[in-house]
Formats: sequence, structure tokens, C-alpha cells
Amino acid sequence: MKLNTKDLISAAILIGCAVIGLWLNTDHTMGTARRMGPGYMPFLGFAILLALGVIVLIIGLFNGPDPIARWTGPEIGFLLAGAAAGTAAGLVASKVGGWPSAGWNSLGLGMFVGCMVVAVVKSWRPLFLISAAFALFGLLLEPAGLMATIAICVILSAFADETHTPKGVAGLVLFLCVLCYAVFIYELDIRVPVWPQF
Amino acid sequence: MDLLANLGHGFGVALTLNNLLFCLIGCVIGTAIGVLPGIGPVATISLLLPITFGQPATTAIIMLAGIYYGAQYGGSTTAILLNLPGEVSSVVTTLEGYKMARRGRAGAALSIAALGSFFAGSVATILVAASGPLLTQVALSFGPADYFSLMFLGLIISAVLAQGSVVKSIGMVVFGVSLGMVGTDVQTGQQRFTFGIPELSDGVGFVSIAMGMFGIAEIILNLERPEARSVMSGKVGSLMMTREEFRRSIPAVLRGTTVGSLLGILPGGGAALASFGSYMMERKVSKGRHEFGTGAIEGVAGPEAANNAASQTSFIPLLTLGIPANAVMALMVGALIIQGIQPGPRMVEAQPDLFWGLIASMWVGNLMLLVINLPMIGVWVKLLAVPYRHMYPSIMIFCAIGVYSLQNNVFDVYQTVVFGIFGYLCSKLRLEAAPMLIGFVLGPMMEEHLRRAMLLSRGDPMVFLERPISATMLAIAFIALVAMLLPNVRKGKDSALAEGG
Repeated sequence: MKLNTKDLISAAILIGCAVIGLWLNTDHTMGTARRMGPGYMPFLGFAILLALGVIVLIIGLFNGPDPIARWTGPEIGFLLAGAAAGTAAGLVASKVGGWPSAGWNSLGLGMFVGCMVVAVVKSWRPLFLISAAFALFGLLLEPAGLMATIAICVILSAFADETHTPKGVAGLVLFLCVLCYAVFIYELDIRVPVWPQF
Repeated sequence: MDLLANLGHGFGVALTLNNLLFCLIGCVIGTAIGVLPGIGPVATISLLLPITFGQPATTAIIMLAGIYYGAQYGGSTTAILLNLPGEVSSVVTTLEGYKMARRGRAGAALSIAALGSFFAGSVATILVAASGPLLTQVALSFGPADYFSLMFLGLIISAVLAQGSVVKSIGMVVFGVSLGMVGTDVQTGQQRFTFGIPELSDGVGFVSIAMGMFGIAEIILNLERPEARSVMSGKVGSLMMTREEFRRSIPAVLRGTTVGSLLGILPGGGAALASFGSYMMERKVSKGRHEFGTGAIEGVAGPEAANNAASQTSFIPLLTLGIPANAVMALMVGALIIQGIQPGPRMVEAQPDLFWGLIASMWVGNLMLLVINLPMIGVWVKLLAVPYRHMYPSIMIFCAIGVYSLQNNVFDVYQTVVFGIFGYLCSKLRLEAAPMLIGFVLGPMMEEHLRRAMLLSRGDPMVFLERPISATMLAIAFIALVAMLLPNVRKGKDSALAEGG
């Protein structure tokens, strides 16, 4: 047997989705082929997905080896820590009331905290720092306004690439603020708070 | 002539000031991202989708189309001058084009790339105009069962032609279809898989998926790779071709246009496949085949004509049948649906402005690109001096603002983060994102046609085999699938796609 790690993980994802989908789909009426209920097509889709997942799994047992880059201890540790911290932060935020619980802020806070924890590890930085900056954008946009949000998110995302210089980042922030103001506010006139609201 | 009158109408639409302006913007942006490696047309179009919503549907589609074929022009510039394909579709141009540049014939290579593209673009424009109404007539006789089978065929072929494992690609297609089931069931109004989240009752955000899987995931993957950009070797030289070069290019351009037009129409086809197909053909049949590897002009002329022809003919299935042939066309479907237009055979009659205006704008756009590209080549090459560390935060911010402005809801922003991480994971596992996007777009339509077909046939699935059109489609899909299981064919495809990028 030559295990193909990439295929096996892919199979796990496909099968996982299919099983969860089939289980959730038990809530919906199937109907008959002639009069299909809301559950008919999803059942068909997830059943085929399950079958394909199993085929990928079987193929993956033999067509390897195709290993993925091995994760180091800290990489695994911080990934788990990030998932735990993110979930915890999200749950706490949804309970405390006020701004953290309003709207989708608890979801955003959970994502942001989780991604930031994982981004401590250098090799995870491109993935999770960009994701964190993106989540932060969602958190800050409405209270802090577009200009401040652009500045903060660009600065945060700049840490994902080591070749940045402080001067270059400052220039980039200025450039993007002017460009976004011109394109989105002046030209397209989208409904976004521009300046911080107190 | 009906066709001429219609084209005249189209030019009337395309030549209004606003449409001309947006066509130009699309072409300029397309050229820019074509030149820049690390951002492709799929990411750019999903990035700019929200910006176009304020515009009428015709203007929006004209601009988005300009980005797609503009990218084919721009991609060849860096491929020839720097051995650096800006797009997947110009990978094969580097093979002969860069060799020509090393011999000091960069100018000639750039000229033939632009002129060949323009010629192919003009032919493809006529082809779209002529075949549109014709195919529409055919499409109007399609029943729901035929539609279902046609979409099924499109999905299978898009998976078969995707890179890597066919089973995994089909898996991604089905995953996309399943993802399309999220939201309110059209016929009963029941909420499916929404977990009680009101934002999901309209389905998972199309723009969020596209931006996450193609925009954000792309940024992250590029950041992980070290930046490697060679400096330009030598000068561009004279843009004039010698008579000999010109004479040799003509048949190559003609062949490239033919191959490209055909491969563009094919579901799952598109610019990348076309340029590769044309390169293979030139290497086998052109008179200059013994020169291949040392800078044969046929190897530039053919593929460049082909990718431009294909990027335009791939609009044919979309405009006539409402079926996207590749990921870019899936984005166009998304754009149309958000604008409130259901793509399908009725579009030619119901939206003549859009249909004929788009076709006319393609020709206008090709003319603009000729001007944008040839005399201003130096400007575009300078664009490469922009380091990626300045590009990625800009892409990120544009994504974020765009996705928020869709519904002024931060939920869409968080959705995009999830799809960004998922897209990164998929590319690490070699699960293709493009088939998934096509599946997602076609899924809800397939469900509707399946339901209707089964209702009409009183629950008898044989209807799919009894109707000749439907049976033919299913047979082709079956043959395509079986062919991929044969080891020889599969090896051929793998090596072809590996070389083609």
C-alpha cells in the first residue's frame, strides 16, 4: 500500500461533508420522484458526494506516496490553541452583551482571536494573518469608519511579508485611503461610514 | 440582412460614451492583471463584481468581458519579454516568444501576438454574432430533461478537463452543487441547511465564494512563495515584422483562430486550453516546426490567436444556453443573476441590448487593446516594478470593501474569510476550485430542471434516455468519463496540462 496523504485528506473532507449533509437533510421531506420535496435533490447530491469520497479514499490508499509538508510541533500546537481560543473568544463575546454581542461581532471576534493566535507561528503567518486582517476589517468597519479600518488592516497584514519597510507601509496606507475614497465613496457612493463614529 | 441590422444595433449600444468608457476600463485593467503574475482574471472579476452593480447590466458585462480578453493580451507581453507568464493561458507563449526575444526579435513577437489576437478576436466576434441566434433557436426547443442533461454534460466535461484527478474534480463539482442547495427551497419555501442564519436564506454568497477561493487564497499562496522576478533581457527592438515572419504567421494565426474558437465553445474549455492546443498543433503541422525551441514565430502567433478567440467564443454557451463553460463564465452568470437577468436562450430576445451590445463591444475592445498594447508596451513592463508586498494589501482591501458593499453586511466579510481558508486548503490538497464554482452556479438550475422533467414524465427517469437531445448529451458525458479512465488518454491529458501549466 502506498498511501496518498493528499487524497486521503481530500476524501475525509468529501465524506465528512456528505455525512453531515445527509444527516442535516433528514429534516427535509423527500417527496417522490414525481413530486420532489425539498430534501430530494440534496439527498441525491450528498449521496453521490459520499460515493465519490469513498472512491477517492480507495484510490488514495494505492496511488501514493504524495505526502504533504509535515507539520512541526508548534504548528500543530498553535493551530489547536487558535481553534480553542477562537471558539472561546466567540462564545464569551456572545455572552457579555454590548458591542461584542451585537450583530455578527462575536463571530468576527472569534475568528480574529483564533487567527491571531495561530499567526504567532511564522510559517502560518501568510494564511492566518491575512485571514485575521480580513476579519478585523469586518469588526472595525462600522464603528471605526473606512479610513481607519484600511490603515489598521494594511498595517496588520504587512506583518505577513518581512520585506515591508515602515515607510513603504505608510505610503501604501495613504495611497489606498485616497484610492478607496475616490473609487468607493466619491465615484460609487457606497453606503459605508467613512470616519469613526463616536 | 438581419445580422447586420442587429450588429448595427449592437454598435449603437457599445459606442455610447458610458459603455465605451467601461469597455476601456475593463481592457486596461485586464491588460494590467495580464501583465502582473499572481492575480488572474477570475480573481479580478470577482473583485470588481460589486463595483459594477451600480451600472446597468450591459455596461457591467461589457467591462467584465473586457477584463477577460484584455488579460489574454497583457499576458503575452511579459511572457515574451521576461519569460514570465502573467496568465496560465500565456504559458506556452513563453516557450517560443522568449526565445525570439533572446534573438532580438521581441518586437516582432509582440506585434504578431497583438495582431494575431486582434484578428482572432474579430473572427470570434462574428462567430458569436452568427451562432448566437442560431443556437438560441435550437435551445428554445429544449425541454427540462434536455437542459438537465446539458448541464450534467457541462459539469462532467469541466471536471474532466480540470487539472489533476478526475474523481476529485467531480467530487468538487458535486460539492459545489450541494453548496448551491443552501438557502430557501424555491418551490416550498423551506429553509435548507441555513442553521437559522437569516443571511443564508438567500444561499451562500456567490461573491464570497469567488473572492475567498480565488482572491484571498491566491494572495496567501503567493505570499508563501518567494518572489522571483527576472529583469528584462535586451531591448524590445523594432515592432516591425520582416516579410518572411509575416508570411509564416498567417497560416498559424488562421489555425490558432480555428482551434481557439472550437475549444472555447467546449464546456470546461477556455483560453488556457486553447493556447495549449494551438501550440501542440503548430509544433506538428507548421512549416517552421524544425525551428521550434529556437524561437519560431508560429509558436507565438498560433497560441496567442487561439487564447483570444477562445476567451470570446466561451461566451457562446453562456449567452445562448445560459451555461457557463469555465470559472470566468460562472462569474458572468453570477453577475447577470445579481443584476436580475436569468441567463438562458431567451436572453437574445429579452435583452437585445445586452447580447448585441456585448458582441459589438468585444470588437471595439479588441481594437482598443491593440492601441493600448503595442505603442504603450514600455508602460506595462514598468508595472512589473510594483512589488507584490504592495499589491497584496491592496487586493485584500478591495476584496473586503467589495464584499461588504454587496449587502452592507459584515456577515459576507466573515463568510469570505472561511472560503479563503478553505480555498487555501483545497489548493494544498489539489482539489480544484473552478469546477466547484461552476457546480455552485449550475446546481440550483439543475435542481429546477430535474424537478420539472420528473414532474412532466410522472416520475419516470427514463425520460432522460428517451429524448434524443438529452440521450446524446448523456452519451457524450459517459464517453468523456470512460475515456478518462483509460490509462493512455489520461496520461496524455496529464502531460498536456502539466506542460500547459
